[in-house]
Amino acid sequence: MSYLIQQTLIYAIPLMIVALAGVFAERSGIINLALEGIMIFGAFIGVLFVHVCQKYGVFELLPGAANWGSMQLFEILGMIMAGLLGSAFALLLGFAAINLKADQTISGTALNMLAPAIVLFFVRIIANQEELRLYKGDAAEWFMIKKGMLGLGEKDGFIVNTFLNKVYIATYLCIIIFVVCSIILYKTRFGLRLRSCGENPQAADSLGINVVKMRYSGIIFSGFLAGMGGFVYALTTSNCMSNGDVAGFGFLALAVMIFGNWKPLNIALAALLFGLFKCLAAGYSSIDINGDGIKLLFELSKHPTWGKVLNPNFYRMLPYLISLLVLAFTSKKSRAPKAEGIPYDKGQR
Amino acid sequence: MEQATSEAYPYVIEMLHITKEFPGIKANDDITLQLKRGEIHALLGENGAGKSTLMSVLFGLYQPEKGEIRKDGKVVEIKDPNDATALNIGMVHQHFKLVEVFTVLDNIILGAEDTKLGFIQKKEARKKVKALSEKYGLAIDMDAKVEDITVGMQQRVEILKMLYRDNDILIFDEPTAVLTPQEIEELMQIMRNLKAEGKSILFISHKLNEIMAVADRVTVLRKGKYVGTVDTASTNKEELSRMMVGRPVQLVVEKDEAKPKETILKIEGLSVPSKLHKNDAVKNVSLEVRAGEIVCIAGIDGNGQTEFVHALTGLEKPSAGKITLCGKDITKASIRKRSLTGMSHIPEDRHKHGMVLDFTLEQNLVLQRYFEPQFQSHGFIKFDAVREYADKLITEFDVRSGQGPVTKARSMSGGNQQKAIVAREFDRNMPLIVAVQPTRGLDVGAIEYIHSQLVKQRDEGRAVLLVSLELEEVMNLSDRILVMYEGEIVGELDPKTTTTQELGLYMAGAKRQDKEVKAE
Amino acid sequence: MKMRRFLNKDGTRSVLATLISILIGLFAGALIILIVGLADSKLGLDEAWKGIRLLFLGLFSKGQQAGSLIFGFNSTNIGDMLFRAVPIIMTGLSVSLAYKTGLFNIGASGQYLAGTTATLFIALKMNTAVIPPWIVWILAFLGGILAGAFWGAIPGMLKAFLNINEVLACIMTNWLAANIVTWMFEGSGLQCTEGTKTQVIWKTTHNGVATAKMGLDKLFPDSQQVDGGIIVAILIAILIYILLTKTTLGFELKACGSNRHAAKYAGIKDKRSIVLSMAIAGALAGAGASLYWLSGSTEFHWQTYLSLPGEGFRGIAVALLGACNPIANIFTGMFLSTLDVVGSKLSFYTGYNEYITDVIIAAIVYLSAFSLVIKTWLSKKFKAAEIKKIPDVLITSENAGNDAPPVPKNKGKEGNEK
Repeated sequence: MSYLIQQTLIYAIPLMIVALAGVFAERSGIINLALEGIMIFGAFIGVLFVHVCQKYGVFELLPGAANWGSMQLFEILGMIMAGLLGSAFALLLGFAAINLKADQTISGTALNMLAPAIVLFFVRIIANQEELRLYKGDAAEWFMIKKGMLGLGEKDGFIVNTFLNKVYIATYLCIIIFVVCSIILYKTRFGLRLRSCGENPQAADSLGINVVKMRYSGIIFSGFLAGMGGFVYALTTSNCMSNGDVAGFGFLALAVMIFGNWKPLNIALAALLFGLFKCLAAGYSSIDINGDGIKLLFELSKHPTWGKVLNPNFYRMLPYLISLLVLAFTSKKSRAPKAEGIPYDKGQR
Repeated sequence: MEQATSEAYPYVIEMLHITKEFPGIKANDDITLQLKRGEIHALLGENGAGKSTLMSVLFGLYQPEKGEIRKDGKVVEIKDPNDATALNIGMVHQHFKLVEVFTVLDNIILGAEDTKLGFIQKKEARKKVKALSEKYGLAIDMDAKVEDITVGMQQRVEILKMLYRDNDILIFDEPTAVLTPQEIEELMQIMRNLKAEGKSILFISHKLNEIMAVADRVTVLRKGKYVGTVDTASTNKEELSRMMVGRPVQLVVEKDEAKPKETILKIEGLSVPSKLHKNDAVKNVSLEVRAGEIVCIAGIDGNGQTEFVHALTGLEKPSAGKITLCGKDITKASIRKRSLTGMSHIPEDRHKHGMVLDFTLEQNLVLQRYFEPQFQSHGFIKFDAVREYADKLITEFDVRSGQGPVTKARSMSGGNQQKAIVAREFDRNMPLIVAVQPTRGLDVGAIEYIHSQLVKQRDEGRAVLLVSLELEEVMNLSDRILVMYEGEIVGELDPKTTTTQELGLYMAGAKRQDKEVKAE
Repeated sequence: MKMRRFLNKDGTRSVLATLISILIGLFAGALIILIVGLADSKLGLDEAWKGIRLLFLGLFSKGQQAGSLIFGFNSTNIGDMLFRAVPIIMTGLSVSLAYKTGLFNIGASGQYLAGTTATLFIALKMNTAVIPPWIVWILAFLGGILAGAFWGAIPGMLKAFLNINEVLACIMTNWLAANIVTWMFEGSGLQCTEGTKTQVIWKTTHNGVATAKMGLDKLFPDSQQVDGGIIVAILIAILIYILLTKTTLGFELKACGSNRHAAKYAGIKDKRSIVLSMAIAGALAGAGASLYWLSGSTEFHWQTYLSLPGEGFRGIAVALLGACNPIANIFTGMFLSTLDVVGSKLSFYTGYNEYITDVIIAAIVYLSAFSLVIKTWLSKKFKAAEIKKIPDVLITSENAGNDAPPVPKNKGKEGNEK
């Protein structure tokens, strides 16, 4: 059970934060189809940052280098770097969509093509292979928090095992950021104005709100969250490795956003649901649901008749199938920001 | 001292010699407008005379090429709406600038939020809005979402937005277009209250009655040019309309008595479900239209007319009822079947339904008949035939465009787009013409043309079903009036014996005829 | 004067805009090569200069002697280029047709996979001892088309009946296809068992099925790959051009794509049109896959569930670069496959790798997203002198005020709400 919750969280958290990235862009009026690309780029930047710092021994220079606490700081720095450059990458979309009034779907697709190409180009030059890993060790060794570090080595409770053992600080940080960003979106002047630009930019403009500035803010926020989410994904699910791919995670985040109706709380729940499916696909063979030692899903996949359907292929496609079904059932009710995807033109009103 | 001089200066806002050009047109050409402190000043002109452009200049949405704006006698520069707000200028736009999914309160404070550390302080805002709404008698529900409230209340929200910003120069851009006669009266009273409180008001309209009723002075524009400014006390409607159009206006459409013949369209008990709420948008409507008469469905926007027309033309499915066209039951027929059975349709929204804007004019002209043998063989389009036909219609209906038949529809003016639609639909010579707001947003010349064409079609023996929101159009054009209120036909009136006031009462739901009476 | 009229033509401007996009893309690539060369001590300026020359002239590379590159006519390169152009011309046509009818087909990858699966199953499972190979070829080709059409129709139906954005539906069906294809081949018994190869499916030549060379092997004697596929692709491109511009069906599909509501008003069955557009688009992508695999010169890696075939996304580049004109797609497809050849030369002869060409392609797609801007800029440039000659009829009073001056909006936006 602990394992199931941990694994679900590992997949749900990046989905949640990247879906929120989508919200910031769309609430300001820009369709951010480039979430996938920004994630790929952010993942690369984060991994590269850690890789280079390791290579030149930057962290050995800091006091308490071997201390697990300073490693957490290292990890947070990686997240910030991924976020900042994610923002910079997203500005390409912002420029095309806001200044040039280009088709946002096409520019988003272009970024989705650009990110893996540019990442693989550099990965090949830097690592001379198709993937960039840490310079030494692996993510679990460097960044994972284990209960022993917290002085809880002997404790064996459910809470300790689930939430304080073998976890990454990134997970909890993302939850905090998610909450803070949701509050910004709903309780502050900035949030109110941002949302008005996605619904009725003409109205916002007539009230003296700078639509261009607001949309750029939205896309910068969006890029930061998606870039950071990309690194968190690479860190927690692929052992801090970058290979120019996040396996459609950015697109799943889009589905989560739509399923969550562009509202943070619903998105958090939707992300957990999708995280669960992703977790089933990745770890169906080692999940012990009720703790009786029988790995039910694994057994099922070996069953002569059930196994024909309930096999790894099935679990792998489940998130996409569910996405489609969810879209089919929610499309009538879903309410996208009214002005999303439409370039804002001052002359038109 | 400074205060004293500005109080003494009679004009609170002056726009002097304003010129604003768009590619190809001069929307404003040397226009001067002076607004006195504490007056209601009307700005009169046809659609497209340049009123909205002039107000957008004052509001900082456009920058003029020439001319200057003065506030209290001092030259000011208004680069964006923020500057306008800083000068205490506020505007109620013709199409409300409201965020539909926000609450009323959020809409009022948007752009002028009081914050502490970035967080919005709603309590104070709520107090201030409450005080304002009580002072001016503007009843609102602060926590309702804008999409759920009536148009009248939305307008009050717009007024409160200006008052919340302490504006004292208020611009009303065509504020009565969406209101019932009773709501209009209410608005007039609100404007008088605002004037009594010392606010100066600019009132943009093309409706002479309202201007005569509420304004102190009128400035008239025509085709982007300044015509003159007069006191309402020393003028009359005829003079104003002559100033507005530049020639004596034929206020009444010339037409003979209708000579109705056989029934063309028969509708029995038609109901249409609503997309917005659970109730039906159209409830049990029955009517008949005969050859050689114009039957008009009057009513305030949003009372089921759109859904009714959609069900009639096949764009939506009715939940009950029967439609018979030329003796054939078409209740379940496809759109094309209906159209071929004998129905032409001038749609309400020419950009949404009437035209494919990225197609050329000629493609749009054959949109309803490209599949006929005249224009195709074996699935291949006969381009020569299409061109010939388009040329014919263009000449016949005087459709003007930049490059003739190959002009992209998008680049044509609204009036000519509408003419093209009218040409396409009339030329099909169908026994029934459904015309929905055929003159919306057009200037007087185009309106007169389309009106005369409708009468001509009637005299040639077609049945015309006209849906209109304009009272004058209804009164002038129709042979019979059916009033629709909340999806029901609440009365049948004879334009020769009824009055605008009576019509207004039916439209507002204050009066209705019994079903028995109607059936006679 | 003649020159000006030529430059004022819409088509001319599109071609110019395309060429400008290509040039900017190539120079951006060259710039990256240069910067990386200067920054990385392993590469250096010489290597960068080599890379840049290959970037522009890679198609005519004849290898190198004593460390310096030799250029000249190379029939292997050109033959390979033509072969690799086939699938992306087809996916390009798929995206173009959808785009012209108001849909953004980002699902060509999935449709391509569907076509791949059907084609390979038919071509490898049918007994060529009983049925003549050329019949199997035709059946496999038709099978690919039908499978692609089916897979394309799914997002079409979701859009038409449930109003789901086709972009999202396509993305999901792409990944579904990737998983299903893996699943189907896993138990198919078609895995190649030759030598040490793993995770690949037999070439169709294993069963004696292959596309005819149609004389192209004589023209490009050194190329192992070139075959009649390119001729089929060009014929199909011409057919699609005729469909879109000359027929009533094309008229209906375009009307529906441009303004679904107006099309419906005019009695065109809007839902049927959307499904049909997507089905034809899918069929084209599926046909591309068929032509590619039926050549019998490459093997299919069947474990596709982690990534999607690049042909689908390159199709987007081919389509947009050619302004979604089917005839132009033939040339843009060949340009992109030239870049492909360039990429392999780059990783063969220099310290750079083929991904730089992907960067260039992505840059070109990005640029084509605002090709409208380039086009407007061009027309301003050439029209500056003529602006005063706007016909008087346009200057009517209705143009002002409420009927705001016509501003070009994004294509196909009005009325097509999400």
